[in-house]
Amino acid sequence: MTFLDHLFIVVFISLIAISALRNLRIVDKLAPVLYGLILIMLVRMSSVAYGGDVYLSSVSLDLLDFKMHWQFTALSWYFAIITVVAALASAVFMSGDWGRQYREQGGNYGMLQLALIVNVFSMILLLGSGDLLSLFIGWEFVSWASFLMMVLSPTKLAKKSAVKYIVYAMTGAMALMVAIVMIYSVNNSLEFKQIGEVFTQMSTSSQLALVLLFFVAFAIKMGLLPFHLWQAIAYAETPGPGAAFLGAISSRMGMFTIVLVIVQFIGLGGLKQLGISFVNMQTLLAWVAALTTIIPTYIALQQHDAKRLLAWHGVGQGGYMLLGIIMFDSIGSAGGLMHVLNHASYQAALFMTVVAVMYRTGTSDLNKLGGLVTQMPLTFLVMLIGIIGLAGLPPMNGFVSKWLVYRSLLVNGQPLLFVAAVLGTLGTILSVYKLIHNTFLGQLRLEHQNVREVPWSMLVPMLGLSIIVFITGFMPGLILPWIASVQESVGLPVIAHHLGGIEYAKGGLDMIWVSGILFYGFGVGALIFYFLGGKSKRVHQYDNYAGGHFLTSDVRYHYSNNFYPGLMHLIGGWYRGSFKWLENSIVSVVSFFSIFFENIYRAKQPVMLLLIGVVLALFALYRNLGVGA
Amino acid sequence: MNSLVLLVVLPLFAAFIIPVVAKFSPKLSLFTGPVVLCINLLLIMSAWIKVGSGSEAIFLGGFLPPVGIVFYIDHFSLLFSGLIAGMVLIVWPWDAKESRLYSLYMLLSAASFGLVLSADLFNLYVFYELLAVATYGIIAASPISKVPNSSATAASLRYLFISSAGSVMLLLGIAIIYTLTGTLNIAHLATMTTSLDGFAGLSAFALIAIGAGVKAEMFPVNSWVAEVYGTIPRQLSALLAGLVSKLAVILIIRMLLMVFQQQAAFDLLLVVGMLGVISGEMVAWRAKDMIRMLSFSSIAQLGLIFIAFSIAGSKGLWIGMALMLHHLLVKGGLFLMADRFAGHMGKLKGLAKHSPMAAAVFLVFVLSLLGVPPFPGFWIKLLLILNLAEQGGGLYHVAIATILLATVIETAYIFKFVRILYQKADADSTPINKNYSSSYTFAKLFALILLVSMLFVSPISNHLKDIANHSASPHIYINKILPTKQLGDRS
Repeated sequence: MTFLDHLFIVVFISLIAISALRNLRIVDKLAPVLYGLILIMLVRMSSVAYGGDVYLSSVSLDLLDFKMHWQFTALSWYFAIITVVAALASAVFMSGDWGRQYREQGGNYGMLQLALIVNVFSMILLLGSGDLLSLFIGWEFVSWASFLMMVLSPTKLAKKSAVKYIVYAMTGAMALMVAIVMIYSVNNSLEFKQIGEVFTQMSTSSQLALVLLFFVAFAIKMGLLPFHLWQAIAYAETPGPGAAFLGAISSRMGMFTIVLVIVQFIGLGGLKQLGISFVNMQTLLAWVAALTTIIPTYIALQQHDAKRLLAWHGVGQGGYMLLGIIMFDSIGSAGGLMHVLNHASYQAALFMTVVAVMYRTGTSDLNKLGGLVTQMPLTFLVMLIGIIGLAGLPPMNGFVSKWLVYRSLLVNGQPLLFVAAVLGTLGTILSVYKLIHNTFLGQLRLEHQNVREVPWSMLVPMLGLSIIVFITGFMPGLILPWIASVQESVGLPVIAHHLGGIEYAKGGLDMIWVSGILFYGFGVGALIFYFLGGKSKRVHQYDNYAGGHFLTSDVRYHYSNNFYPGLMHLIGGWYRGSFKWLENSIVSVVSFFSIFFENIYRAKQPVMLLLIGVVLALFALYRNLGVGA
Repeated sequence: MNSLVLLVVLPLFAAFIIPVVAKFSPKLSLFTGPVVLCINLLLIMSAWIKVGSGSEAIFLGGFLPPVGIVFYIDHFSLLFSGLIAGMVLIVWPWDAKESRLYSLYMLLSAASFGLVLSADLFNLYVFYELLAVATYGIIAASPISKVPNSSATAASLRYLFISSAGSVMLLLGIAIIYTLTGTLNIAHLATMTTSLDGFAGLSAFALIAIGAGVKAEMFPVNSWVAEVYGTIPRQLSALLAGLVSKLAVILIIRMLLMVFQQQAAFDLLLVVGMLGVISGEMVAWRAKDMIRMLSFSSIAQLGLIFIAFSIAGSKGLWIGMALMLHHLLVKGGLFLMADRFAGHMGKLKGLAKHSPMAAAVFLVFVLSLLGVPPFPGFWIKLLLILNLAEQGGGLYHVAIATILLATVIETAYIFKFVRILYQKADADSTPINKNYSSSYTFAKLFALILLVSMLFVSPISNHLKDIANHSASPHIYINKILPTKQLGDRS
């Protein structure tokens, strides 16, 4: 029995326990304890994240001549710890008053808990896979587990998008299956290392097919362009903490497999040799990543629903991760990998703030919110920290990973990609400002006058996550050893790091200095303001004027519609829904053929056709055999 | 061993005496059939043990082959005999008050047993026709409602037409074979496959395949499927889709494995299989009620089975057999459940809330049908695709792409349906029909078997592999039936 076996056993017992007790009240308190236990099991294995040996499971399955085994590398551990922490935070979040309200409103709380543990279970199974078959099975499990969580949403639209998701996921699974079959048919083996070996033996066209199949499969899960349409709505409409969990980590399983398969076994050389002149597979994937950072981000900018807005950003941020890792150098890949953790931390925190606001006000429609900062100051603080992280500004952790990606793009001579990445960040900053402004700043609506801060069961996970967002931004060196181990285990150049950041010949980064100077600047400003005659006067929240006129509180001036009129005037014409059009046209093609086949089946007299066939056959035989002669 | 002849004789005899018995005691006539089937099951079990991993040939009528009648017994034929007995028992019309229906079911079982056991083409044809006649009778005798229903009559009439056209083709194919070789004993034919090479032999195979394909829901000749399944009782649909279609497949497969081991024949099956898969799934995608959806999905599954059989040798039989058994369980189960789910899909909203168990059983079936791990369907699909990839040749790769594309379409329509089940009930929703509790019980049993077999994937697959290795070998077949002829005579 290795530590990995212990982990699997604890996860499995948690799954059984929660599914058995899911309709009892005790599950509220039990679930966080179980996730805590899983976390302890993971921490026991932490040596793997500091350059230790790979953990092998002593269990292996021998099914139909296929050998399946499981293992935990630094890569698996890194993704697993993010998963479990996100699950723990979500479980704590829903353990108290939120869960009570959800039950009262008719939600199926037990199913939500079950869906969460099923997700964790299947993700751990996927992350621990030791060969292509166990990878495929884990992959399917993850797809169905997130489907289970998405369908819990009561709205019709969400259910529809969940079904859409499962069709996409199945497409991805089938692509993965073909890729696996391609590898198996060469050496009759499903070991991971076969990917690399088989790849070198293949013809160029097969190589291209293999890379594309793998990439399509993984890109669908990750929501990369042009497979991004399912994700935002499906995630946004998932009930509360479920959305936080899915948004934080679920689609990153695609990132895990990209690193595991494409980066590790096909590698830069493999990608670069596929292509003509200056366009090769690496540039193609990099541009997919760049467009993924831009397009969904600007779709997010248009959203009027806080959860949708965040979910679209979730899609967009995936682009940075791929963009970093696809550079294959030490800082770029470190940035891409680190962004997984950073994104998970602030995205979960942000979703939770929105859910907290919904808990108190019943809506996440940005047109119906505003001015809540006085009512819910701590939630505001969490959202502030979260959006600074999401926008990638110091001193939060999003800055570190994005800085590494930018740096890598510049160092590698990719100015166009750099501009694309910066464009994405610009859109992010604009839309997160819209988010916080329309939720917490500006006019407080009359009906929200009595809104109070959310209870501690919800605040604790939110604050905990925002502390992670800050600490890992202030001292990225806490995370960087893990990143370095991951890089080492998948064969990437390893980043040189210290507590404050990285050492790099062409300019390093020390976040302790950066943050120090930032706070020093704030401090100087505060000193000047407070000690050199700065005078402040408190005004009431309803004491508002426009054009010299007093605005009474029933006059609404706080909307998210047409929030950036100048910008929309410039780029509004670009929102054409081309991808929706693409999706619809695929459906139309399938419909066309379906109708065609339906007409065949509707043929009135198939018998006549058969008889004609018989007569023709007889005639041909007569000529051939001379039977009649 | 000769007692196995009783498998055919007993039900046939019962079919003739049931009307007479019914005159005296309707109760007795109702129980005659199940008793006969139970006796048959016992016979099959004892033969299963006796045969072991070998096989036996039974010579009937005092003549030795190639002239006399032969039954060939191995685990493959015994497995399907057992399934026939079990399946007919499950769909036995307990609540029908007509003894003629009992007779017809007995006739159907006799013909089915004969079909899987016979080792010569003439008898195969006879039993096939007998099966067809019994099926027409049952369809005509058991309309979905007692009110005369013009669409049901039209459907069964059209089924009769197309099925008899199929029989003509089958007969023609057999005639060509006889012209070419002068024998109808399959073992004897297996010794002279060379004379069946070429266009004439292939056209004979094509005629047999398409002729029997009418019942096997093969692509161009399956337009009856949705219409007929839509108008007959669901238990009968389960029987037709689950079992009778497989029997026709077995006829085709025997010919393919023993006599027509040629690439062109494989390619033919592969092409009709692919067309069946893609067309079935696509039409099912547009279906608006569950029976129609299941019917076309059944067509697609049969297409999958044909694709499997286009893999040469015992591997094809192995995977095909696994697919057949899986489809029997899943589609049989789904049709048995369909009683509770009948009607336009839109009316089924809220069903999951009303009876969560039924929805869960439905989910188990469809997930296995889609090939989601860890359900048995996944392993079968994986094996099928891996083996298709090993075949090489462009057509096989097209088949892989077709299967996977079809799976995506299948996912789309099945989950569109599942979504409806889990929606909130509204004014249109009809409460579930609870009258057919017995068939629902059997559906639950099927689901249970499916779940249990999930745990024994490896042993089951090894067992099927052994059966396939034995049954797919023409050498053993010839040795048992024509001990004097050796394979050296094959020229």
